[in-house]
Amino acid sequence: MPTTDFWNRGVYVNTSPSARRWPRFFSLLSALVVRDLTSRYRRSSLGMWWAFLQPLILMLLFNMLRGFVNIPSDGIPYVLFSYAALTPWTFVSNSVSSCGPSIITNAEVIKKIALPREVFPLACVVATLFDFAVSCILLAGMMAWFGVPVGLSLLWLPVLIVLMAAVAFSVGLLISGLGTFRKDFIFATPFLMQAWLFVTPVIYPLSTVPESWRLLYMMNPMVGVVEGFRNVLLKAEPPPMEPLACAVVITGILLAIAWPVFRSLSSYFADVL
Amino acid sequence: MSEPMSDDVVVKIDGLWKRYGLPVPEVVRKVWNLARRSKNSGRPEDDGPWALKEVNLEIRRGETVGIVGRNGAGKSTLLKVLAGVTTPTRGRVEIYGRIFPMIELNAGLNMELTGRENVRLLAAVMGLSREEIESKLPDIEDFTELSEWFDRPVRTYSSGMLARLGFGVAVNVESDVILIDETFSVGDLKFQNKSLARIREMRESGATVLLVSHSLETLQFVARRGILMEQGKVIATGSSLEAVTAYERLVFRAEQERLEHRAKNRISTQEANIYSARIFGGNGETLTEVPVGTSFGIEVEFRLNRPLLRPMFSAGILNAQGILCKWNISEEDGLAEPGPCGRYLIRAWYPENHLMCGAYEVHFAVRDATSFETLERLAGLVSFAVIGDNRARGIVCGDCQWELIPIEENDRPSDGPEQTG
Repeated sequence: MPTTDFWNRGVYVNTSPSARRWPRFFSLLSALVVRDLTSRYRRSSLGMWWAFLQPLILMLLFNMLRGFVNIPSDGIPYVLFSYAALTPWTFVSNSVSSCGPSIITNAEVIKKIALPREVFPLACVVATLFDFAVSCILLAGMMAWFGVPVGLSLLWLPVLIVLMAAVAFSVGLLISGLGTFRKDFIFATPFLMQAWLFVTPVIYPLSTVPESWRLLYMMNPMVGVVEGFRNVLLKAEPPPMEPLACAVVITGILLAIAWPVFRSLSSYFADVL
Repeated sequence: MSEPMSDDVVVKIDGLWKRYGLPVPEVVRKVWNLARRSKNSGRPEDDGPWALKEVNLEIRRGETVGIVGRNGAGKSTLLKVLAGVTTPTRGRVEIYGRIFPMIELNAGLNMELTGRENVRLLAAVMGLSREEIESKLPDIEDFTELSEWFDRPVRTYSSGMLARLGFGVAVNVESDVILIDETFSVGDLKFQNKSLARIREMRESGATVLLVSHSLETLQFVARRGILMEQGKVIATGSSLEAVTAYERLVFRAEQERLEHRAKNRISTQEANIYSARIFGGNGETLTEVPVGTSFGIEVEFRLNRPLLRPMFSAGILNAQGILCKWNISEEDGLAEPGPCGRYLIRAWYPENHLMCGAYEVHFAVRDATSFETLERLAGLVSFAVIGDNRARGIVCGDCQWELIPIEENDRPSDGPEQTG
């Protein structure tokens, strides 16, 4: 009876024409996104309004909190200050928590057909991007109401959105991969997201963080993203370079860890589902 | 696409072993075992059983291969490994061309979406690009025969309709190798025939088909080559009929074993003791398998502790489903010897064996014909299998002569159906 270990395992070779691989991947991704979007709100009365409501309610809560505690907001109306940060934050939080069980909910498909499994967490992230877009409409409306000047710095927005999606995808990938084997990772996600919210400048500005802690603080890639959104949207400035660079590097490292881990775990998904 | 190395081999499996679960590196397992042993001196942790053991197989282009085997023999695991759903633990699997598994296809459906939306989703899951999906959608709609239901939410469908939806998409996917696991049983007869026709079409266009089905009938008619699996190993290959026959022998043997191990149901008065029993053939040799249609006998060794003026013996033969196929009493068949105390052999000979292939068990009883008292009764005394190579099935065997008689319209024979043997 042969012994098994990581370094000496079976080989599976399929010499199918690889030219169709990418069209297939995108067709699958779009089908999954369409499924997620249409089925998510089909039997709810408020439907897409939930995409507005969620950050709106959080914003009102924070606003109430500010009534008790003095939180500086860099001279920007607090409603706007918090909502500009809540929009990317809600996106990351929602995509990570929907990524977590994405493998388990698609178990029936994964058990039966060979697919690039990354597509399931990725579809969650892309579907959440639609909610983000809806939330952005509200944000734009608020900016118009307060008469916030906008400039060419808006061109940074695509970069920030890609970075934000990459953060969400890499964390979501890791949680969905590990969570398939141990549910603990999925149960821990809400706590993780809460802790993450407190170490991200959503409620308070980056400037309140003590100088000595700042470098450690910026290890959180969401600092660069959130501060970037604020600068670009509310101050008509380019994002602060130091947190942005940190965020890009950390996200790169996260992705470099999450992807191979997910890949090697994914070949055993069908065994444990 | 690179050309296969040897002529037309599309699937090549070389020394394939498969064990489910995440493989733990050797070092980690040793440390883990050490830690466990120190805690509760248990034996070293095993990784679980092997689902496939040393499978070697080559399948050529255009072949239709049926895989048979009992539950847990590794058939579905083999298909899963071939489909690339799960990785081989050891060995090498090579597939030249596109492979497509048709395994319980309605699994990926979303209940909130309509049939049409689900077809788009399923087609994408099965590997069609967006243009292909749109061009095939009318064909699929046609094949599923759902008409106005096609645009209603899938949660309102019946199970047959659900299955048709999945199958409708699957048969419209073009592939070089097709894996089929138990999908024929969906829908009504008309739909089943349609599916079979589609599979034949795919085969004729050069596709290779591998199918697992518990319907031996389907396998025999659809597949040309057969593979028998047992406990993770391929134990026989050949024509589909050969594989099915080998499979049935395996089942009969297993049933026979089960019958042997079943607790014997005994009524005893200690006035007779049964020592042993066997099945024997024409030359008196002991048999465990009787070829279909050949004569055989049952022999029982026993002792009478009370003299009987009119001893009466009865032997019953039951099949694996517990149906009494044959029951005979010695008195009726002309045995009228008195039985003083002593040791005897009783033989029942069946010159005409009408038992069909299968596993059987023997019930035996000794009675006193004057008082109808039962001295000893034993259920499951001995078991045997009847084996044969024909496809004919049922409870009894025997010849059947067929005739096809054309009837002239407006000139029907009035004297009923033709008498045939």
